[in-house]
Amino acid sequence: MSPTSLPEAIAVSPATRSSPSAIQRLVSRPEFGPFVLLIIEILVFSFLSSRHSVSEAFLTSFPSFLSTSNLSNLLDFTPELGMIALGMTLLMTAGEFDLSVGSVFGFAPILMWTFANTGATSLEVGFLIAMGVAVLIGFVNGVMVTKLKIPSFLVTLGMLLVVRGSALYITDGFPQRTWSAAGPLKDILVGDIFIGDLRFRTSLLWFIAFVAILSYVLTQSRLGNWIQAAGGNPGSARARGVRVARTKIALFILSAVMAAYAGVTSSIRVSAANPNSGTGYELEVIAMVVIGGTALTGGRGTIIGTLLGVLILRMMRNGIVIVGVPGLAYNIFIGAIILGMMALHSWLERRHHAGT
Amino acid sequence: MNDGELVRMEHINKFFGRVQALSDVSFTVRRNEIVGLLGDNGAGKSTLIKILSGALTADSGEIYFKGQKVHIADTMDAIKLGIETIYQDSALVTQLSIARNLFLGREPRKKPYFLDRMDQEAMNDAARVLLKQVGITKDIPPTTPISALSGGERQAVAIARAMHFDSDLIILDEPTNNLGVEETHGVLRFVRNARDSGHSCIFIAHNIYHVFQVVDRIVVLRRGKKVADDIDPKKTTIEQVEQVITGLVELPQ
Repeated sequence: MSPTSLPEAIAVSPATRSSPSAIQRLVSRPEFGPFVLLIIEILVFSFLSSRHSVSEAFLTSFPSFLSTSNLSNLLDFTPELGMIALGMTLLMTAGEFDLSVGSVFGFAPILMWTFANTGATSLEVGFLIAMGVAVLIGFVNGVMVTKLKIPSFLVTLGMLLVVRGSALYITDGFPQRTWSAAGPLKDILVGDIFIGDLRFRTSLLWFIAFVAILSYVLTQSRLGNWIQAAGGNPGSARARGVRVARTKIALFILSAVMAAYAGVTSSIRVSAANPNSGTGYELEVIAMVVIGGTALTGGRGTIIGTLLGVLILRMMRNGIVIVGVPGLAYNIFIGAIILGMMALHSWLERRHHAGT
Repeated sequence: MNDGELVRMEHINKFFGRVQALSDVSFTVRRNEIVGLLGDNGAGKSTLIKILSGALTADSGEIYFKGQKVHIADTMDAIKLGIETIYQDSALVTQLSIARNLFLGREPRKKPYFLDRMDQEAMNDAARVLLKQVGITKDIPPTTPISALSGGERQAVAIARAMHFDSDLIILDEPTNNLGVEETHGVLRFVRNARDSGHSCIFIAHNIYHVFQVVDRIVVLRRGKKVADDIDPKKTTIEQVEQVITGLVELPQ
């Protein structure tokens, strides 16, 4: 929201009768909770990992949390899941969600490599075909949800199975050959960039660009207003002339395209195309989005919050291993963070919007 | 066509399965007139105004708007004609701000248009002026989400929206339900203001006292038929109207 020049003493309803100071306004933003959590997480992991490497002799070779090698490692995968989370944020703001993203993540690179390896097309054309199929998948999801009025949970659950099944069937369950990955596509999607010792990939730049673009779309554009209205009150949005169905279909397409793009990027980076890759990503991505402050029920979403949510969960997975917690305990922490953040968001919601 | 006539519905019939919700109802609203539409539950008031606002289509019958025969297929058709409906839940998006709700579906944009950027300053400025017009004297920033407003303030926003987009006809379906005494007075005041600024209104309410306070003319439906068309609230008592609604007294047409 843009700042207003109105006097501070604004009585709106009993809940907000006291004039909010700048600090109170900051605290009431949905991004504030995740932001604090991220800071705490960085501090705790930095502290624990530095103490580790000093006190335990055989761990001295272990990278500390803030070392350049670990940050490079962290920044490899974060943009990939992050891209899916960005698409999911807009879709969830519009009141729907997409369980098929993990399958599309696995399926798109399979398709691309199958076309390239059989010599049917070049890798680049294979990439375009994969993205085209993702558009189709998103379109089918969107049409079934908006025109046939089937809940997105069921539609995208079905699509999850269809797409994953297709990936397994095409490949007979075997990983695809991917050693010919070097080329312009790799340079564009996941080329290496060095700043001193710190290596990161072009995928990070793409991710930052999409954070900026989609944040603009959600907060500044007319489409963003329509997305929020479609999730908040679809009936009245439709009555005002908002093209609710068209908006949602476009967002389902965006979600599938982002997942396909992330899958291809990931596959080129690790030089592997496994028909099972991406399994379970849909839930991790939805967790990132809701931790960031986007409402599962629609109407309210934040791209910056999702960025924070992505960083929180990726750093948690990375940091837990660095400080020596067994990796298998990861889900305990993730679950606890989700529950904690949901409690916080619901408390803030009730505090600021009392009486509704 | 009578020049003073804004909308005329003629011989409207509507069936739900075998139940006839409206039978041969004709209904007229003149310019600068507030018409009270009364009737018991199931009398057909909601069906009639849903047909006018595009939420339902009639099985037979004609609608004339400003003398022109019109076909209203959906709510957008009605809004384009200048027929705005305000339901008891206001049909606002509670998560969005006042300004964003006022302009939802018709957001002003900045050039270049391919950037699709809303002109939020223009929206906020217009919203401030509008809120004053509908009688909200407190300073409520237009960026306040609807969820932070009281029921009366929400109705005011919905009415402000209808006034801003120059709706000739504002239909208020139970606008005073679930409102407190002060808020009800606010809504009734908005309705009078709307008429004074050149809008016509159809006012539907269970509470006959509210209707009596603002309307120029009362129309009564009973079991899908129009049983009274020209009751003057200044010359009639509430008891008499109640008897017409329940069917104890037949008025000569």
